[in-house]
Amino acid sequence: MLNWIEERTGFVSMTKDFLTEDVPGGARYWYVFGSATLFMMIVQIVTGIFLTFFYAPSAATAWESTRAIYLNPYTHFLLALHYWGASAMIALVFLHLLQVLVWGAYKSPRELQWVVGVLLLLVTLVLGLTGYLLPWDMDAYFASQVSLNIVGLAPGLGPIMQHIAQGGGAMGTATINRFFGLHVWLMPAVLVLLVGAHLAIFRHNGSAGPVVEDPRTLRPGRFWPDQFFMDGAFSFIAFIIICFLAMAFPPYLDAKADPTKFFVPYPAWYFLSLFGLLALVPPEIHLGPLTISMELIATIIVPTLFLLVVLFIPWLDRSRTRSFAGRARLLWGTLLMVAAIVTLTIYGQVTTMIKQGSAPPSPPESVVLSAEAATLPPGGSPQAAGSGAAATGSTTNVSGAKVFSSNCASCHGAQGQGLPGTFPPLANNPVVAGDPKKVIGIVLNGLHGAISVNGQTYNGQMPAWKVTLSNKDIADVITYIRGSLGNNHASPVNESQVAGYKL
Amino acid sequence: MANATIAIGGIVGVVLAVPIVGSLLPPKNASAGSWAPLSAQELEALQKATDKPVKLTFTLKFQDAYLPEQSADEYVWGIKVDPAKFQAARPDVFNQPGGKPNVPYDVVNMGFVVFSPICPHLGCYYNWSDSQNRFMCPCHGSQYTFDGTHVAGPAPRGLDPLPLREQSGNAEVTWIVYQSNTPQRIVVSYQA
Repeated sequence: MLNWIEERTGFVSMTKDFLTEDVPGGARYWYVFGSATLFMMIVQIVTGIFLTFFYAPSAATAWESTRAIYLNPYTHFLLALHYWGASAMIALVFLHLLQVLVWGAYKSPRELQWVVGVLLLLVTLVLGLTGYLLPWDMDAYFASQVSLNIVGLAPGLGPIMQHIAQGGGAMGTATINRFFGLHVWLMPAVLVLLVGAHLAIFRHNGSAGPVVEDPRTLRPGRFWPDQFFMDGAFSFIAFIIICFLAMAFPPYLDAKADPTKFFVPYPAWYFLSLFGLLALVPPEIHLGPLTISMELIATIIVPTLFLLVVLFIPWLDRSRTRSFAGRARLLWGTLLMVAAIVTLTIYGQVTTMIKQGSAPPSPPESVVLSAEAATLPPGGSPQAAGSGAAATGSTTNVSGAKVFSSNCASCHGAQGQGLPGTFPPLANNPVVAGDPKKVIGIVLNGLHGAISVNGQTYNGQMPAWKVTLSNKDIADVITYIRGSLGNNHASPVNESQVAGYKL
Repeated sequence: MANATIAIGGIVGVVLAVPIVGSLLPPKNASAGSWAPLSAQELEALQKATDKPVKLTFTLKFQDAYLPEQSADEYVWGIKVDPAKFQAARPDVFNQPGGKPNVPYDVVNMGFVVFSPICPHLGCYYNWSDSQNRFMCPCHGSQYTFDGTHVAGPAPRGLDPLPLREQSGNAEVTWIVYQSNTPQRIVVSYQA
């Protein structure tokens, strides 16, 4: 049978050639990281392909189809495996890179293998970034907004690149479509091509082997089955770990993305160090007449420089020796960098947690996945439907709703539900629906100190809006909050009433 | 060593194959279906009708995968019958011991039978022809009498009766799609 196939295709000898490779100094568990990364990539491709059977990329279906994926135990496991597989793949890429760096395996003639490897790390990170958006829940939306805005910060081409990546001026269906295309087609195709190049170069130069004075003294070991078994055993352990994590700690699906709500995104752990760096620096510093955007430095310039240094390490460290003693400076530098990244990651984690503590909490997943959640409009609560309907009723209310969502909703909530202890609700608030003069006064002049609404105490700061909003804006927004939020059905307010109050 | 490696690969393959195959298999318990009210006016017309079927419209609510529940206008054909005569005319339905129907519900209710508007041949919507006094399918020419008996054309069985019930003075129907082109009635989907 095998002979018959071999004679006609050459596949058997091809496989033998593929599996026959000298391992200088014999097989070792030290060499498993590259193969384990490749294994994890295959797990990602297999789970990812089958997830596309159940996922639909558009603003109307992304969250809904993800929710359906969560509701079926089989697809939920595939998704959880894909989620943890992504983390495992990135962790393994980092380990692989670190090991090659420490062992000096990037040295001549393997410079290009190193360069392709760094590009593979980049593609893997882009895959993580684009995949993060696809569930289209609150976290996906707001975390991706941060990364897209960072792209827009880049000098020169930044804004146009952001426009291209998000498929328009703001995030929406086009963004999901583009990220989906990137995540399931372009990036995986690039990844597979680069892996092919990475392996072809590897076979061309052979394995670098352990750090010894004279590599010619090493006795060759076998790739198949010795090294292959070790690679397989380690990959298997990694697989068991992600299976366990997928079952014990599956990812969390938040409510459907709602741009009008306030949300503190949580970045994927592999981007936390960049968040930490951004949180560490002030937005800008002034040096005499010069204003330097520290945001630009922290989000684009530092990571780009870092990447360039890593990319060109084979040319920065040109000594022929691979011994640790001969490369002390580079090893200390590596240790310093790893320590800095770990510190920034911890700092990013802490600042994100502090910020999240001040934001309204996310609903428990059981609520998100419950039947009612699917039939409600994007706002997620019954009031959203009411205010949406009222907002389209008259021109005043359209403009009032706009003023509300861009000025008031960040504190009082998209549906005027408020924030306990700080910002009072506007929906079903007797003051809002009461004497219009009082409402006009509060909006014009602001409000400070503790107040009580429906038996609850609130102690936030309401700014005076007479400086920023026109009389018409103020009349429109008061009409909107009096007539459209919750069960409020109070009389409208016109421009002359607002102007009259000012006199 | 080689065998151990192959075994590891096999285990990984099985762990991946179980959720993949499981996710692709159809769910075991299809939903039981719900009742949709028929238009009261059309029901009145059916009460008055004698030898002509009446088109009874209703709103079919259905779930397309994960999309929010949708609704569409759908109809069934209603006929006024004498239960004993109808039972005698449709042996393809009442073929169970004791003259029971081969569908898990009563076929005649309130003196009416409602038929699925889908031709049992290949799923076209058939019409009633006054001149021929028959249900005629435009696709492949299957023909049925007033009581749904298959009399001509390629269809393998007579028209499919659907569940009907009386609910506070109104009539309600459950939408069932049966497998086309088989002599038996095999449920494809319950919706309403």
